Amino acid sequence: MMEHLPVLVVIIPLIGAYTSLVGGWVDRRYAFPIAFINILTQFTAALLLTVRVMQEGVVRYNLGDWLPPWGIEYVVDRLNIYVLLILLFLSLLCCAYSKRSIGMEIEERKHTGFYTIFLLLVAGVTGITVTGDIFNLYVFLEISSLAAYTLVSSGRGGKGLVAGFNYLVMGSVSACFILLGIGHLYMLTGTLNMADLARVLPPLYTSTTLHTAFVFFIVGLSIKTALFPLHLWLPDAYTHAPSTVSALLSTVVSKMGVYATIRILFSVFTVEFVVGYFPVMEFLSWLAAIAIIAGSLLAIAQRDLKRMLAYSSVGQMGYILLGVGMVNQLAMTGGILHMLNHAVMKGCLFMVAGAFIFRTGFRRIDDLKGMGKRMPWTSAALVIGALSMIGIPPTVGFMSKWYLALGAIEAGQWVFLAVILASSLLSAVYFWRLLEYVYFREGEGGVEGGTGDVPLPMLIPMLVLAAACLLFGIFVSIPLSLIDPVAESLLGGV
Amino acid sequence: MREDVVIRTVCRAMIPFIQLFALYVILHGSSSAGGGFQGGVIFASAFILYVIAFGIMEVRRRMHEKVVVALSSLGLYIYAGIGILCILFGAGFLGYSAIPLPVSAAETRGLMMEFVEIGIGLTVMAVMTSIFMDISVKEGGED
Amino acid sequence: MEPLESPVPFIAILVPFCAAALILLSYRRRRLIEAYSLLASILTFALVLILLPRVMEGSEVTWSVLKLLPGANLGLHVDAFGLIFALTSSSLWIVSSLYSIGYMNAHDGHNLARFYAAFAIAIASALAVAMAANLFTLFIFYEILTISTYPLVVHEGTEEAMRAGRKYLAYLLTAGVFLLLSLLFTQHLAGGNEFTSGGILAGHATDFIVRILFLTFLIGFAKAAWMPLHSWLPTAMVAPTPVSALLHAVAVVKAGAFGMMRVICYIFGLELASAAGLNMALILIASVTILVSSFFALAQDNLKRRLAYSTIGQLSYILLGVALLTPQGIAGALLHIPFHAYMKITLFFTAGCILVSTGLENISEMKGIGRRMPLTMGAFTLGAIGVCGFPPLCGFFSKLLLAEGSVEAGAIPVLLVLLSSSVLNAAYFFPIIRTAFLDDPAEELRGRKEAPVLVLIPSLATALLSLLMGLYPAFPFLELATMAVRALAGGP
Repeated sequence: MMEHLPVLVVIIPLIGAYTSLVGGWVDRRYAFPIAFINILTQFTAALLLTVRVMQEGVVRYNLGDWLPPWGIEYVVDRLNIYVLLILLFLSLLCCAYSKRSIGMEIEERKHTGFYTIFLLLVAGVTGITVTGDIFNLYVFLEISSLAAYTLVSSGRGGKGLVAGFNYLVMGSVSACFILLGIGHLYMLTGTLNMADLARVLPPLYTSTTLHTAFVFFIVGLSIKTALFPLHLWLPDAYTHAPSTVSALLSTVVSKMGVYATIRILFSVFTVEFVVGYFPVMEFLSWLAAIAIIAGSLLAIAQRDLKRMLAYSSVGQMGYILLGVGMVNQLAMTGGILHMLNHAVMKGCLFMVAGAFIFRTGFRRIDDLKGMGKRMPWTSAALVIGALSMIGIPPTVGFMSKWYLALGAIEAGQWVFLAVILASSLLSAVYFWRLLEYVYFREGEGGVEGGTGDVPLPMLIPMLVLAAACLLFGIFVSIPLSLIDPVAESLLGGV
Repeated sequence: MREDVVIRTVCRAMIPFIQLFALYVILHGSSSAGGGFQGGVIFASAFILYVIAFGIMEVRRRMHEKVVVALSSLGLYIYAGIGILCILFGAGFLGYSAIPLPVSAAETRGLMMEFVEIGIGLTVMAVMTSIFMDISVKEGGED
Repeated sequence: MEPLESPVPFIAILVPFCAAALILLSYRRRRLIEAYSLLASILTFALVLILLPRVMEGSEVTWSVLKLLPGANLGLHVDAFGLIFALTSSSLWIVSSLYSIGYMNAHDGHNLARFYAAFAIAIASALAVAMAANLFTLFIFYEILTISTYPLVVHEGTEEAMRAGRKYLAYLLTAGVFLLLSLLFTQHLAGGNEFTSGGILAGHATDFIVRILFLTFLIGFAKAAWMPLHSWLPTAMVAPTPVSALLHAVAVVKAGAFGMMRVICYIFGLELASAAGLNMALILIASVTILVSSFFALAQDNLKRRLAYSTIGQLSYILLGVALLTPQGIAGALLHIPFHAYMKITLFFTAGCILVSTGLENISEMKGIGRRMPLTMGAFTLGAIGVCGFPPLCGFFSKLLLAEGSVEAGAIPVLLVLLSSSVLNAAYFFPIIRTAFLDDPAEELRGRKEAPVLVLIPSLATALLSLLMGLYPAFPFLELATMAVRALAGGP
């Protein structure tokens, strides 16, 4: 079975999605365990696949035994497997977290459907990471996006529905752009295989059609990654979605957009193109820098915890894209490393926010007075997540900051260096306010809901992520060993 | 629901043909235009027409929601099952020719492809129907 | 001599961290928390003490903890230079643990687990700063030090404390960013950041860049509270007295001064520093700080704030000493780290004693307090005399060395600054002593007695230690300082 792993990781959640649907119809309680075991199996498969990638470098798989470029090819290299592991790890934890947290937020009759859609989303993001075919990537992007729209609107109350609809509109616009881009490429070259495209495109680098296609891609992907100023769908979607879904969106769904961007920029088009023929990287970096500052400033202005985290995500996406945009090895490593780091810390923080809502129903930061005593473990996870976001060593947040800043120095980009360093101060402003309320202000009675920490199925994923914030910070060499050659291979041309 | 003889009669006459056409499209997916997705949608449109003519309750009675779920899952199982069967016979995922049937490799491929299309068709049909049923319940209460 | 590989320094840092975890886990049991804290402090001091004979023999102890990032290792390296600071903070942790227990009992403290845990982490970070083998390690623990002291500053939880905490963080986190910037540039320019005697930057950068880098380093070490980046320190005095005593007179502020010394001696190198004219800038800043802070101190009526301004001045002695770039000056600066620590902690302890037994914070209200609390005020007097630099207390020796250093460097204005500062110190300390002993006790003080034993004993102990070290300065600090200076000069 080892040779079929690339396709199995996609098929497993697909089967699981419908199995949990059937299981859920038999008895509603079956849906969760089926989903959980499914993702666990998938995660194991991904780990096995990692071993193969480490040994062989690149694992290729031809779907239906059709040879590329005619058939669909699955290609797994270090970047894919790195992203895949992040996505599955977070999906697994979010799934575990959802068992209790959706109880209050989603009507009970929808629980089965929730897990089906959840697994479809996982299948979609997995497909995006392993595929080597650009149209296949689009299909999976749509599967996961559609699943995401549904999940956002699955909560009680109308706000989630509106947010989900906005997200749907923006997401569909973005999908159209991407599809148009793909159409142009196919028209030019007659191939959809990424490696093949990278091979046949260079003579066409001056073609206007290609430039048009490229612009379509950039715009479409910018909406998907919520790059400032195309981020408008994001705060509402993150705020009004059920807590599990917020965590899933900010960690898994946002990363898949970033991954698609990196793939298309560097594996379909090449460094040579994006730097030499169509100098978009400078532009993207500046946008990312603005996103970092704007996201942080907007986050400072928020009073709702989840909304604050959402705006902070806008800034954090900027970090990743800034790392990618500076086009040198250190910054690129920093950006790619930040994909993991942001997933870990933002996942942790959204779960904490969900735990507060679960216990007390409070969403506003001002209401969280004295939580440090009432929910000690949850608050401890909050502290670690917040310190990591600020970038205090030795948490993960510091490690990516280190690489990004060194990359900025190497590129001689002083403005970006200032942005990177200043943004950690800005995030200190809004996270510290939060910590001040949680720990250093006494609660003023009038407490509804119970006291004490959230149930273990919610607490454990949160603490695992908090521990990961520290462990991946101290033992940062583990993720680095996987992604070290990635930056070099992506930047092969320079 | 108001009785409307014309609509009901036309529907009664149309629906078998729509379904037959849907089957045609599904089964010819491997060799010509069409396939599971298109066929499935056409098949679902037959149900939708039925709902319009006879009301949702009638359709519910004939095709329970659990059946829809089961059909959508069944379709996927056929698809994934054939894919995995190919793996078990030593080929890649959906490498049809490896399945040992007493016919030539090309025929095996065509046959299996049709099974896959049927699976896809089932799922698409079931999902489209279920979406329509959900929406119609939401709009008009239970009818 | 070959450096000795040993995990002892690492364990010494690990002990307080583990203690912090234990304290947090047993947050409901007050006595247990206190016991953990005290035990950890004794154990840590013992571990640092084990290192002393090794270093005295001239051997250096290293331990590479972890290769964190390419080119950035987490490593420890104990030499005479760092051991001075390590010994100071770990030995004073014991007395201040005792003192905290007494103080918190008397004050009916709350959130004790958080208090003791943050205290332990702060000490561990200060130790790690002392024993860091490279700038990266120093930076990491410097940041942890900032974060871990925040809960201590805002411990009271009042609105004033929260404001102070925000100011504290605003200053020190910004400083941390500047330090990170300097670290990144050092890494970029020199390709490494290991502390090497003689410096690593020479030949890698133009004078202009060196000067810029020096400025960012200086801002980064704002914990040294040089003017005009000093105002966080008096504000942080809202913290409970043990915190002000150990952290804001010893560990935190000295981490800043010590870091600056490390960087000048081991990153820039003395030759580069003098070639680029860095020392003149530092001498200027330090001199201004010494004089201006003394005037500020004169104007304070709150005893802790007056002590805080005095600390600001005394910290700049250390900067001044290293800025002289002469062996005597550096030795004096190194000696001033422990000596000032012992004396200043005595002063803060006694201020806390007064607060505990009478509730008074302002000097003008302390009329005749010396007659009611003779032991406390006796300790205070010893500490005050020492800070002014009079024999036979230890402060005399460090100031003597600094004065010698300035003569050696031919910087006569510096000598004048030192002398006038001593006069000013006396000007703001002696009125307190006079008020305490000579004025008639106020009505409210009637019937007040000495402070509780647990806070009194640490105060007396540190006062006596300052006296002892004044009588026998050689062991271990003077010897260590001499060794450190010899090592810097490239000698054996």
